[in-house]
Amino acid sequence: MADFSEQSYRQPFPFLDIDPTMESLTQFAELNPQSFILDNSAFNFQTFFPLSINDSLFSNQASQGETMSGFIHNSNQSSVSAQPIFSAKTEVEEISNKRKALDILESSSGNSSSSSPQVSETGIKRRNNSGRGKRAKSNEKEMEKPKEVVHVRARRGQATDSHSLAERVRRGKINERLRCLQDIVPGCYKTMGMALMLDEIINYVQSLQNQVEFLSMKLTAASTYYDFNSESDAMERMQRRKAEEAKELERLMREGYVGIGGVACFHSSSTYGPL
Amino acid sequence: MMNTPQQVKNPSSSLKSRFITRFLGALTKITAEDPISSSSPTRIFQRYRRIKVASNKSMAYSVRSRRIWSRAMLSRFRSRRSAFSGRRSSVKTTNCTTSPPPALIKVTINEKKTAKGGLDMQTDELRELVPGGEAMDVCNLLDETAHYIKCLTTQVQVMRKIVDFYHLSK
Repeated sequence: MADFSEQSYRQPFPFLDIDPTMESLTQFAELNPQSFILDNSAFNFQTFFPLSINDSLFSNQASQGETMSGFIHNSNQSSVSAQPIFSAKTEVEEISNKRKALDILESSSGNSSSSSPQVSETGIKRRNNSGRGKRAKSNEKEMEKPKEVVHVRARRGQATDSHSLAERVRRGKINERLRCLQDIVPGCYKTMGMALMLDEIINYVQSLQNQVEFLSMKLTAASTYYDFNSESDAMERMQRRKAEEAKELERLMREGYVGIGGVACFHSSSTYGPL
Repeated sequence: MMNTPQQVKNPSSSLKSRFITRFLGALTKITAEDPISSSSPTRIFQRYRRIKVASNKSMAYSVRSRRIWSRAMLSRFRSRRSAFSGRRSSVKTTNCTTSPPPALIKVTINEKKTAKGGLDMQTDELRELVPGGEAMDVCNLLDETAHYIKCLTTQVQVMRKIVDFYHLSK
């Protein structure tokens, strides 16, 4: 009992730090819409009966494996009332390390680390993903093995020291950003590794910058040509050459983003001026 | 209050419309200067440079200081403007973040990349491409890259439309 109260004191504060990073949590909560209603009732029940939480929690785990994830996310949003739950979880965890795991705070761990590095180390609890297959949430991207005070979900067989944890969180963030970039950059497939995707991204940015240059060249040609329709022969010759180059550029641009081809064309059009 | 359907940053105007306004203003100013009476390639090249700078500048100003890359670009412009007094032709292509020879070299380096060590090489390349990328960590770099790509595509789109208008008006 004294143990329990001690932990209940320790746990709440890191939990509070997670509050600022709610966006992904709400997203995650949206993923478990049905669990919301169920979890609310369980939630209230558990707040009021801390002593019996251990057993009730365990039985709840048994009954609502999946829904607990949504529950915890919702509890995140009201940190104060979530504290006793969390302390109860500590207790349960300490008692039985091989209990079923709850999927909590994978994304929150990622986001909390974005808010402050200490939070990820001291604020998040982790739980063991034990052998019960139903509970093993292997579809989440950030699961850490619970051994320390960090509230991050752990997968079985992964290192649990704070360094690798922070590293994993950081990698998760980077992967998230890469996924966004994947949608933006054409030609990126999910099956590609990070190196290939970065290659594609670099090529795309280069081609876009080249396109801007080509287009400004084209604009120059267009403005020069149309401003001075009646000029000498020399002027007309130059304009014709420019028009040809502009057509060439247009053709290249119609092929989509050019990459290396754009660079080659850039070479050919470098006769236009020193670059 | 008009809500444009494009990238809505604030309700009254979008990035695209801000860019269009600025860029068209700069463009008309440049074409009105009338340098082509002397049909020298250098004048034409000057005009090309000016248009390119105007395009990038308009985009950077449209984004203001909301992004690291726009801030870096704007500070680059300002330092250049203070360093060089009038002759824009003397300005080096610091605004040009890509130039043909390094791009070719970059391609060959890409082919030699290894699984893990190549990531550093590529992030370095990305840092060179995105303005202000040297001081960013990888996470922010990817963020800025996404926004930069978005702005670049807007730029390209608008410039194409303007070129089409030129052709149509003929």
